[in-house]
Amino acid sequence: MQLKHRLVLPLALVLSAVMLYPVAFSFWISLHDYRLTRLDDVRWVGFENYKFIATDPGFLNAMGNTITFVIGAVTLELILGLGLAILLQRLVRFQNFIRSTLLAPMFITPIAVGLMFRFLLNSELGVISHYLGEIGITVDWFGPQLALFSIILIDVWQWTPFMVLMFLAGLESLPKSPFEAARIDGASAWLTFRCVTLPMLRPVITVAIIIRALDAFKVFEYVFAITRGGPGDATETIMYYIYQAGFRFFRMGEAAAAAFMLIAVILVLVIALVKATKSSTAGRNNV
Amino acid sequence: MKTRNSLPAFAALLSATFLSTALVNAAELNIIIEEVPDYEIVKKLTDEYMAANPDVTVKFDAMPFDAMRDKILTSSLAPSATYDVIIIDNPWMEEFAKAGYLAPLDDYIAASDGYNFDDFVGAVSSIGVVDGKTYGVPYYNYALGLIVRQDIFDKEGLEIPTTIEAYMDTVKSLTTEDFFGAAMQPQKGYKIMEEWKNWLYANGGEVFDADGNIIINNEAAVKALNQYIETYNTAAPKNSLNWGFDEALRAMSSGTAATMLSYNWMLPALNAEGGMSGDLAGNFTLHEVPGGKAVLGTWSWGLPANAKDKEAAWDFVSWISSPEVAKRRAIMGGAPVRTSVLEDETVWAEGYGEAYYKALTGILDDAAPLTSGTNAEELIEIIGTELSAAVSNQKTPQEALDDAAAAVKRANR
Repeated sequence: MQLKHRLVLPLALVLSAVMLYPVAFSFWISLHDYRLTRLDDVRWVGFENYKFIATDPGFLNAMGNTITFVIGAVTLELILGLGLAILLQRLVRFQNFIRSTLLAPMFITPIAVGLMFRFLLNSELGVISHYLGEIGITVDWFGPQLALFSIILIDVWQWTPFMVLMFLAGLESLPKSPFEAARIDGASAWLTFRCVTLPMLRPVITVAIIIRALDAFKVFEYVFAITRGGPGDATETIMYYIYQAGFRFFRMGEAAAAAFMLIAVILVLVIALVKATKSSTAGRNNV
Repeated sequence: MKTRNSLPAFAALLSATFLSTALVNAAELNIIIEEVPDYEIVKKLTDEYMAANPDVTVKFDAMPFDAMRDKILTSSLAPSATYDVIIIDNPWMEEFAKAGYLAPLDDYIAASDGYNFDDFVGAVSSIGVVDGKTYGVPYYNYALGLIVRQDIFDKEGLEIPTTIEAYMDTVKSLTTEDFFGAAMQPQKGYKIMEEWKNWLYANGGEVFDADGNIIINNEAAVKALNQYIETYNTAAPKNSLNWGFDEALRAMSSGTAATMLSYNWMLPALNAEGGMSGDLAGNFTLHEVPGGKAVLGTWSWGLPANAKDKEAAWDFVSWISSPEVAKRRAIMGGAPVRTSVLEDETVWAEGYGEAYYKALTGILDDAAPLTSGTNAEELIEIIGTELSAAVSNQKTPQEALDDAAAAVKRANR
């Protein structure tokens, strides 16, 4: 064995132990009727679990809710994060103080955020509902129409600072000369943003979207703490579905199959996003 | 010099001998337990047990309900149990017993003089019996009762409702713009199932018939769901579709609701002076669920099949659930599970009064669990999801219950 291979070997072994083996074992589980309360009766079922999951209305609903959540939350976080980052970059005084304050929500554990908003938005006991009521606004935050949107807003509250952080770092690393050229050419602020800032920031935006989208696909804590997936199944997300199947009903085969189907969906979306970004960049370079 | 050097060595050897003997005899019992008011009482009583048995150390791993099920599972799957004693919620009993996680207790019970297993309330103790073997002895009950603001009922000259229709009329009449007749818990899953099933019982319904056929979508069930939705729409706080136990309790303790269907042992907590209810303490009373038959919940003590020292574990379990200690636990505020305790005049006098224990006796006389079977937890979630969809107008009651029946069949495939 060559030296370079021997040097890589320890890392390969560690990765195999902590990643490859669990993934392979999960795949093996997904091909079996594997229930934690019936370990003496584990049976090979092939792709039956996948077929069951694919036709389960609960899974399809949870996948739909999750995709809606990811698109809604990441889009809002992108817009707000970019706007705040641009404002913060121009801020001269109190910049560090405001940056630290804005980042605070990120440091709260999501389950605590969920519990906090469960009571803040409570129709009878919540502060937010109370003050909205004072001005004649009544909102059923966790009713069937708004519940998923409310969960999105909570995620936006917590994770927009992450976007701000990413975009601020990106904006500060951009070269100054294109902006000076745009100013000399008399470009408006909007034109400068659209034709200079945004294209140069595109790689950062792509990375930020991918990181946030991957994280948003895992949404669980808010659902668990606030709605338990309800009313009905209006806020049931894919992670909550997998948690229920695996850790409450102990149907590990189905839970593993659902997890692999989620991985497939995420892979497709990430590849599509990266390809779209690359083709857009290539197109711009050709121009 | 030689003698002086050998003395410390001899002392060390002697100490090691004593220490190893002590370690052999000492027992450490690890117990998983839910953080509820009864746990605090059990903890205090356990100090006495440890004082009387200095070679035994009892350690509690107290946690919220949501964390318990998977902890018990992982302990049961391990070659050697993490917990020597576990508590088991009634939907889990059959599942855990049939999975082989629990040790049968019949021989231990038979060998325990004065334990008097028959003294446990029948509806409660039968939950621990699976296929003729006893896997759990009752810890505390959480049967549902009707908790009311008696001062409001007295002021309005209202009778305590004994039928579900009378209850619906009463709570509707008490509801105003900022005060509500019923603090309900229509949160998806367990909570709504637990609450709605009292309506189902009142209409003579059940999840399965005597032959095991699903009857959750029959006429009685649809009527019960329509009544439940009407109660929510006419007497519960607006926009409370995600309310669970915490929110309903806060509504009662803060004086914005007149009644709630909840665990009987919440009454002492609501009436505690200086407690959550502030000036309202003392105004709450407990009654049987309208319609008579109540939803019964029970936590049982059990011994994991893979526990190392079952004798020591049973010694503690048989002590904490013995008639004598059960009586003292009830006086300290615990939820009784023994008939002798419920009928004990000392308990009435030193506990929460005759009315409370008589109401509780009435509740336990006609109470049944949410459902049974090896996947009871899953069935409760399935039905609770569909009930929530109906209450939030996403489905009609008949559609929701038909979907629930289909999903139960699918889960039982």
